[in-house]
Amino acid sequence: MDNKSNNGSAAAKKEFFLFRWIRRLFFPNKELDIYAEEQMQSPFRVVVRNFFSKPTAVVALIVFIIIALFVFIAPHFVTLDLGEQDSTLVFVSPGSNMMKYPSELKENGVADIAVGNNYSVGADKNGKIYVWGKAKLTKVIDLGNIPEEVSSAKIVKVAAGADHALALDDQGTIYAWGSDRLGQTTLPSELKSNNRLHEFGIKEIHAANQFSVVVTDDGRLFTWGNSNLADIDYDAEKYDGHVVSAAVTNFTYVILLDDGTVTMGGFAPKFSEQRVPDDLGSNVKAITGSSSSILALLEDGSLRIWGNSVKGENSIPQFTSPIKKIAGGRYHYTALLENGSVVSWGGTRYNQTSVPENLGEVEDIFVGSFQNYALQKDGEIRTWGLKGFIFGTDGLGRDVFSRLVNGGRMTMTIGALSVVIEMIIGIILGGIAGYFGGVVDMVVMRIAEIVSSMPFIPFAMILSAVMGTRVSVEQRMYIIMVILGILSWPGLCRLVRAQMFAQREMEYVIAAKALGVKESKIIFSHIIPNVMSVCLVSITLAFGTSMLTESSLSYLGFGVPLPTPTWGNMLDNAKNSIVIQNYWWNWVFVGAIFGIACICINLIGDGLRDALDPKANGR
Amino acid sequence: MKKYLLKRVIYLIIVFFFVSLMMYMIYNLIPSDPALVQMEPLRKTLKPEEWTRQYQELRRQLGLDAPLIVRYARWMGFMRDVDGNFSGLLQGDFGFSTSYKRNVIDIIGVPMQNSIILNLVSTILTLAITIPLGIYCAVHARKAADSALQAFTVVGYSLPTFLIGILFIYIFAVLLGWFPTGGAKTPGSTYTGVMEFIDRMHYMALPIIVLVFTGLAGMTRTVRAAMMDTLTQDYIRTARAKGLKEKVVIYSHAWRNALLPVSTSIMGWMIGVFTGGSLVIENTFALNGTGRLYWAALTSTDYELVLAMQMFYTLISLIGVLLTDISYTLVDPRVRIDK
Repeated sequence: MDNKSNNGSAAAKKEFFLFRWIRRLFFPNKELDIYAEEQMQSPFRVVVRNFFSKPTAVVALIVFIIIALFVFIAPHFVTLDLGEQDSTLVFVSPGSNMMKYPSELKENGVADIAVGNNYSVGADKNGKIYVWGKAKLTKVIDLGNIPEEVSSAKIVKVAAGADHALALDDQGTIYAWGSDRLGQTTLPSELKSNNRLHEFGIKEIHAANQFSVVVTDDGRLFTWGNSNLADIDYDAEKYDGHVVSAAVTNFTYVILLDDGTVTMGGFAPKFSEQRVPDDLGSNVKAITGSSSSILALLEDGSLRIWGNSVKGENSIPQFTSPIKKIAGGRYHYTALLENGSVVSWGGTRYNQTSVPENLGEVEDIFVGSFQNYALQKDGEIRTWGLKGFIFGTDGLGRDVFSRLVNGGRMTMTIGALSVVIEMIIGIILGGIAGYFGGVVDMVVMRIAEIVSSMPFIPFAMILSAVMGTRVSVEQRMYIIMVILGILSWPGLCRLVRAQMFAQREMEYVIAAKALGVKESKIIFSHIIPNVMSVCLVSITLAFGTSMLTESSLSYLGFGVPLPTPTWGNMLDNAKNSIVIQNYWWNWVFVGAIFGIACICINLIGDGLRDALDPKANGR
Repeated sequence: MKKYLLKRVIYLIIVFFFVSLMMYMIYNLIPSDPALVQMEPLRKTLKPEEWTRQYQELRRQLGLDAPLIVRYARWMGFMRDVDGNFSGLLQGDFGFSTSYKRNVIDIIGVPMQNSIILNLVSTILTLAITIPLGIYCAVHARKAADSALQAFTVVGYSLPTFLIGILFIYIFAVLLGWFPTGGAKTPGSTYTGVMEFIDRMHYMALPIIVLVFTGLAGMTRTVRAAMMDTLTQDYIRTARAKGLKEKVVIYSHAWRNALLPVSTSIMGWMIGVFTGGSLVIENTFALNGTGRLYWAALTSTDYELVLAMQMFYTLISLIGVLLTDISYTLVDPRVRIDK
């Protein structure tokens, strides 16, 4: 409320410090006594001054302007991809630590780094193992809880999958930890440390989406994990003793044999990447996989890709130097060249292919998921790709921040336009009813009464359901605006009508009539501007109400349909108690910004009401 | 007074039929043809002209060929249906729910009971808290306690109901574990008597708390504003000047006059709670009430049920308006004389 003392002296009025300079810039006149003020200041100016003398209202205005600017400007930078979704990015918690490797790893020298879904595992030259990124997958499964036996062993190689990780120590023992729901960490008996006689060394370990692949020095291959999801069959009779290397994709793997040919390891191809091109030949040097494609490096230095290229993995660029190593992420590939430079291509959604400009001479690269690590000759580790999501992701792997920003624009646009519709109807009908009175007034007021006696939300829901089924998302958005406008005009109409009654007997109206001014002109250009200031309060509050109603409708599923985000339908996700419990970032951020915006609007409305109220001036 | 009320009742009845006609027209915008649905499988087996004849016959039997206004009158129960009997809303036939495969009247019993308990308890609690609180704030305006409460109410009435619902679920159900997160009773329980009541209340407690909380903020502000307005009036000064006790001044002189604007807002608020508020709350808490039923019917395009529920909501709104009028006449003697 008004914080000034009640002794009637305007000079005692305290002013909020932030806006003292605004007043001095735009309203330079001193505080005047009541008589001087009436002669010199327009009522509008008094209202503005009153408004700016209230700290709460001014702070609310500033905050609201910031939020509004944010949601209208930021969408130009944070673009929204409506089709965006990724099963590996589901419910990622907020933060940008996905590539924040421990400094100890760099100091001791990198032995190996493996990238899993949103987390990474690394081993340094002393055999110490590190895990960083979003390693806490559920309340129970946390890959950051490295088992005692693993942290005490001297690790030389690591592999990271969707929800499990592998490590190989210098004795040739393989350790696995993480989720074991589908046998991801249950090693085949031949590989188990206690009944293995260490008669063969381990050459490669791979961990992928709930399955693992291991290649031994004597050319054998072992697979284990979720065989329902992935094709991890292995024809041991046919290939044992000849396997040189393996490449894993999301759902299967392919192997490179000692004769330089590539083949699938199983019996019958299920996935496109298992269908190795016939003309590939037998001069393959190395293979690697993305989510659903395989990239092969041939002896002559050229690259071949097959399988399903989702995000442009097959548009292989030109290289300035022969290729030394290739590595695949989820939707991209990175190649290390002989001259120490690095080239990335494929999906660009999370900057996976934006190799840093000033990269030094690179010794080795470690790639996976959406992340890249480049180990420079000078021991420095450079990273590029997805760092994380500042507000996390939702149940479909969509960035909450970009949806928050774009949803805010949608919510505010709908709120504003529905208020405009409400204003147009309310002012025209209220103006006509108040000016003419009599039968016109009676009819308009009865219509207003009928509309206002309709139950608002149920009625809006049925209108949206009936009209919204046969139209596009955009049209539906406009329909929602119109529905909100049409159902909420009676309040404003009554206010304008009451003001009209008072104004139409004023001298200036009589003067205008005597001069023969058209009646429509008297109403809309003489009287309405005079009552606008009173309507301003109602309009401000109506904006808040419209936003609330739109979000309630979207929350109930009858507003703007998914995947177009609004603050309401984003909160719709949080109707689920599992989301409320475990994935707080899905509703806390949007709830907070929405709540703050609504509180600000109401505070601005209250401030305006007080500023307009002559009683509030203590006279 | 009687004449005035009679006038209002007649007016409301007219409005009810007008709104119901409008609803019926909106409902008829939905492109659906039950006759075509029944006849479509026969299209291949019959000759085209024979099919058309049978189709038209079926349309006549189902009463689909009649003009909109006639169908409305039949649905309402003003006119005899095709079979010669009156079977409309006025006769208590609310239609047939396609998703439940039962008559609408048999479905809405339990949800109605839940909704009425929910709304009644929360309304009584809200008013019991909000009126003394609002008066206290007005009497102690601009003191520390009032300012704190004002800040709290701004937050309360700015936040959408569902957000408060989610927040309360998180605090009271997830973090503290005092209440269940949703539902109407313990699954599989066979409590009877007192235990059943306690179980019900345990499940309904959180929705009620949320409804009371959201109502609290807005209503306290209304009561406070009305009281503050009245307290500046001259007759209050007169009452104090002639030495009346402060209690008498506040509760007898001021409050009775402040009640006039308050009663309008109370009714408006109650209508809002009964329709929109409980709709959102019941969905947030998965409570089997009318709001959830309406929502489910709309999502499964069970339009006869929707239409019946819509009529129910309209009726509640209109009764609310009528009650406002009656409370006006009770509170303000001038209305009785005027009209």
